[in-house]
Amino acid sequence: MNDRDLKDLIDQSLNETIGEDDLRALEQRLIEDPVSRLYYLKSINLHASLRHRFSVKPNPGNVLSFINHFFTIRRVLLAVAASLVLFFGIFSLWIPSRSVGEVAQVVGAYRDNGVAYEIGEAVEPGSIFISRGLLRLDFSNGARVTLEGPAELEVFNESRIVLRRGLVTATIPESAVGFVVDTISAHVVDLGTSFGVSVRENGQTKVCVFDGEVEVSSSKTSGVSKLTQLVREGEAVRTKVDSSVIDSVSYETAQFENAWPVNYGVLQTTGSMRFVSPGPNFHPGNYEDNEHIVVFPEKRDFKASESIRVDMIDPGEYEKSHYDEKPTLVPNRAMTSYLLQLDAYPEGKNPNRRRSVRGQITFANPIVGVVTEDRLLNQSEVVFGIPGADYPSARTIEPRPEGDQRPGFDKLILTADRHSLILELRENPGHLDQVRVLVEAD
Amino acid sequence: MPVENSTSDRHEDFVALYVRHEPAVFSFVLGMVGRTADAEDVTQRASMTMWRCFDQYETGTNFRNWAFQIAKNEALNHLTKARRDRHVFGEKLIELLAKDYGEEAEKLDARRRALDSCVKKLPEDEHEIVSGCYAEGVTIRSYAKQKGDSANKFYKRLNRIRAKLHHCIERQLGLEEQVIR
Repeated sequence: MNDRDLKDLIDQSLNETIGEDDLRALEQRLIEDPVSRLYYLKSINLHASLRHRFSVKPNPGNVLSFINHFFTIRRVLLAVAASLVLFFGIFSLWIPSRSVGEVAQVVGAYRDNGVAYEIGEAVEPGSIFISRGLLRLDFSNGARVTLEGPAELEVFNESRIVLRRGLVTATIPESAVGFVVDTISAHVVDLGTSFGVSVRENGQTKVCVFDGEVEVSSSKTSGVSKLTQLVREGEAVRTKVDSSVIDSVSYETAQFENAWPVNYGVLQTTGSMRFVSPGPNFHPGNYEDNEHIVVFPEKRDFKASESIRVDMIDPGEYEKSHYDEKPTLVPNRAMTSYLLQLDAYPEGKNPNRRRSVRGQITFANPIVGVVTEDRLLNQSEVVFGIPGADYPSARTIEPRPEGDQRPGFDKLILTADRHSLILELRENPGHLDQVRVLVEAD
Repeated sequence: MPVENSTSDRHEDFVALYVRHEPAVFSFVLGMVGRTADAEDVTQRASMTMWRCFDQYETGTNFRNWAFQIAKNEALNHLTKARRDRHVFGEKLIELLAKDYGEEAEKLDARRRALDSCVKKLPEDEHEIVSGCYAEGVTIRSYAKQKGDSANKFYKRLNRIRAKLHHCIERQLGLEEQVIR
């Protein structure tokens, strides 16, 4: 190959007209010859500089201003939350018997007389009993508590409940910090967090902190002083009726995996779908699970100030489309975001296995958009992703092209009622399948 | 609140550094991935990763090297995916290009600066072609179609204009003409 040929190959490469064979020839030449490589880099540099010079690009400052935006939004929310506390605080002094919240979600939850609970029912101070199923109570101060039956709960007011038996998961926003869950053996005070509490028949209580921290004290006094322990995210403790000792136990979230998603608007996951309780240092980038399509909650009830381009808004099966044909969601629409991920990594005797992983997820509110392509995932991440989280890149869902009969594609179906998403993902070791689901806010 | 202020300062630090080095990062990536649209995507992704990992960047160390490292990983991720459909540069060449680019980065910056005055010297018709074909979202093919001409004609004209600019840069920098003619 002479220099004329090299220049031709580079020109073809810059014009994006180079064929496979020529590209291989260019690659070989560049590997073998450092002088050619330098010439290539100079040509690329010229080409890139021209593009840079003549393309009107958005100022990177603008792109990154979303990041600033997060902080501004948070400040505003804090102010709103504070004024709500004030409002409800004053209000509660005036009305002696009152509603302290409402039933926000019901998944097969029945009273002891067999009557089903209904969404929208007022929650008043008093007893709540469910024989089975899940019941989410949204308190007026913003606290969300999901009860899993069989369970018995006493509601004192919007800031204090007593769990007699069964299990609750609680998500407590800033507006409801100080929320108390009492059991026969423990007094749990929230310090701005989400956590789970379970009480066995014998009164043994387990407290598991998913996020933030709580203060746990034993109901039984030891001498004159009460024992108190701060429990942080990723930690769990156990208390017993007959002892004042607070035992640290291993952090296991399995028992809360039905109730916990309901706090986040996910009613049910089936098949290989699994909602993940955020633990310590939780983010999609360091979470590997070969067996499940895991669901990570992202921003909740968030209004994007710009329109969001998505891959899919209508019920049916997902098909690839061109960027320009993709639908957009209008700005200022409040949405809650979830990231679904299958991270297949090579494993064991058969590192190249290709299994299908299937699952279905059902949301309380309708799905308004689904994002699957890498570029759109990146764009929507800036708006809906967890700030500071490490999102892996090069993600891909490969739907079956029309007329293609070969095995091994991914399938994604949005059901007609828009509440469920059915996924069948082909494991491809070393590749990451991710889908972002945007759901209408409460 | 002090925490938020420091985050905001940090953000400004990042933007200042990134804006200065973005042309080099884009060029670095383009050499690896080949296609302009892909290079723009990869660069955008890399910038997001840089922002997220900016905590790990030590102030005072070479930002460009740090940015190149992240951009290289993003480019490799992209190539792994693209390789399913078509031939792309392999890892061996990517490593060589990354190493060479790192070593030549300052000289390539100088060439970029020299290009400015060379572009200004282009005759009007050539300037129009370059500014048209290199505008954002435009490909040579789409530009040719818009002009009602064959893409081939523009490929050839651009090849000549780039060669001209190449020689102009070499002259500006007082470098010997390359052996490549």
